[in-house]
Amino acid sequence: MDAPEALGILGVGILLSSLYLQSESFVGPQVTGIALQSLLLAGFLGVLAWTEASVGLAILAALTVLLRVVVIPYILRRQITAFRWRAREHRAAHRVTGHALAAVALAILGWEVYSLAMAPAITAPGTALPFILLLEGFLMLATRGNTLVQVVGYLEEENALIYLGALFSHGFPLLVEAVVSLDVVGVVLVAVILSIQRDVAGIPEGAHVEELSG
Amino acid sequence: MTAPPLIPAALLVTLLALPAGAALSWSVSQEKAHLFARAASVAAFLAALLLLVVQARGQWGGFLALDPLSDLFLFLVTSIHLTSVWYSRGYLSDVHEPFLLPRTYYALLAAFTVAMLFTVSASDLGLLWIGVESTTVASALLIVLERKVASVEAAWRYTLIASAGLAVALLGLVLLYQATGTLNIRTLAEAPPPFSLLVGLVVALSLVGFGTKVGIFPMHAWLPDAHSEAPAPVSALFSGVLLPTALYAFLRVEAIVPQGGPLPLHALVEAFGLTTALVAALLLQEQRSFKRLLAYSSMENMGLALVGIGIGGIGLYAALLLVVAHAYAKSSAFYCAGNVLRATGTNRIAEVRDLRHRMPWTAGLWVLSGLAVTGAPPFGTFLAEVLLVAAALASGSPAVAVLLVTAIAVAFLGVNHQLGGMVFHRPAVPASPVLREPRDSVALPLANLGVALAIGIVSIPYLSPAIRAAAQLLGGLVP
Repeated sequence: MDAPEALGILGVGILLSSLYLQSESFVGPQVTGIALQSLLLAGFLGVLAWTEASVGLAILAALTVLLRVVVIPYILRRQITAFRWRAREHRAAHRVTGHALAAVALAILGWEVYSLAMAPAITAPGTALPFILLLEGFLMLATRGNTLVQVVGYLEEENALIYLGALFSHGFPLLVEAVVSLDVVGVVLVAVILSIQRDVAGIPEGAHVEELSG
Repeated sequence: MTAPPLIPAALLVTLLALPAGAALSWSVSQEKAHLFARAASVAAFLAALLLLVVQARGQWGGFLALDPLSDLFLFLVTSIHLTSVWYSRGYLSDVHEPFLLPRTYYALLAAFTVAMLFTVSASDLGLLWIGVESTTVASALLIVLERKVASVEAAWRYTLIASAGLAVALLGLVLLYQATGTLNIRTLAEAPPPFSLLVGLVVALSLVGFGTKVGIFPMHAWLPDAHSEAPAPVSALFSGVLLPTALYAFLRVEAIVPQGGPLPLHALVEAFGLTTALVAALLLQEQRSFKRLLAYSSMENMGLALVGIGIGGIGLYAALLLVVAHAYAKSSAFYCAGNVLRATGTNRIAEVRDLRHRMPWTAGLWVLSGLAVTGAPPFGTFLAEVLLVAAALASGSPAVAVLLVTAIAVAFLGVNHQLGGMVFHRPAVPASPVLREPRDSVALPLANLGVALAIGIVSIPYLSPAIRAAAQLLGGLVP
């Protein structure tokens, strides 16, 4: 297997992992899923680093493994352990079949939109996959009520951006990519603190707060 | 270009004074934490003022750069931060069981402000994006200060929506890098890429992405929640300088499209701005919380500024003038809102009546702030809005001018009718005790309101020329 084939397989794997995330209603497997997706992304970056002999991409691959495969999933798993009820999406808010179908439909729609609006402007090959991945991340953010699942959606969206940045042959500035990764940790930590506060305040997931209407 | 050593030194003081103050506050008790925060805010403000006075220009270390637009925003951010820090002590003393102790509060406030200062002095669009995103991380926990159910929910929505929106902006920057091979602001400004579909896409994605943080419709959902639930001094920073900082980010990307560039792109910016202004003007009519009312007013003002950016020419100058005047007027309004909230314990418009007798100083400032944020003469916002309408007419868009006037008039009536009711209506029950008004809680909104007024009637040394210089830098015209 040569490098382009490996990159293609890893890219498809990343996309399939996003469809898996959409169809999963337990938070534990979601966290495992996003860690797996990040591992595939790190593999993608590693192959790219090897073919382009880029130290920057290699560092980024290592940073991805450290933060997105190890640290962030660890933080999220601790949350599930601490709050058992949070381990699953509310049944009413999550219909597995519906979400899986919506994810597939969005992937097809994303491909169409990309072909019409973006493909004529972008010369780098393979950029449709991260674009679709970005849309899948947005779908997760917009449709889920569970705080931790929303964090997973946010991570997926950020994975898509790192993926896209890496695809351009001259490479997105490493410094920016690295700080984006660190920024994800910041957002996750804020999310965790806020989710604890939500528990303290006794806000059920997806609750309507009257003061915030209007 | 080699800059005199004074300028990088002043820039470093502007950026480092606040974290230094926050670090030093750990050496004293919680009760004295405000002393270092206040001293640091004064140092940062004076350094930014110096940069404005010497018209600092230059680029340092590949990370930082200054030009007239940066100078203006550095000054704006540090001045509103200064008043917010000085206002905070009294406000914090009235918060029952706060989520953050004073030291942590001032440290987060410093981090939030430094993120904005970094954004407006970054030499690179990638670093600028990091600055904008960092404002979310640094400020989200400030919203939770009062430990209310609604504030936790508001902070969560803010984190989620702002981060998701900024991801779209980053997508735009990735594409821009593909098209040009650089994200350096000066390089892009000196040699903008020829217009192409990709450049159009970059600007559109930045509009949506940074626009989420500006609060443009329909990505505005976080704005009223965060503004209304944050403590008043933080709301003042949100409205006064956070939204303009995000607008600054968009301006930097939009600058790659030359004035008089493709019409559909400018029309898109105008359309988003107009829609935002109109929707906000309508939504604020039905608000029950006075802080949400002010939040929608901020959204309306940002919409108007965006229209000015879209029109270009003198509209650009009007947009910058509006942003500056609005920052001072709206921070004043939020400090007044904080006074009312502290004294009455409610943010419900219907539950606050007869303020002119109960809090005479705050009531006067409340009415004047309401007038200032809605563009009443002779405040700076009035001048800006007149210029905006004139720019729309001069660009041959009478329909845009009509819609602008409609949004301005509807917002003016909505805000002032509601605030006026709180001040002048007598309650059904006659008992109406006089409420306390600490001196600093009145002095600070008075000072900021004075600046908002002065902008409209005189040329303020250094500040008014800075607004003109910033508009000219972006290719705008000045009257």
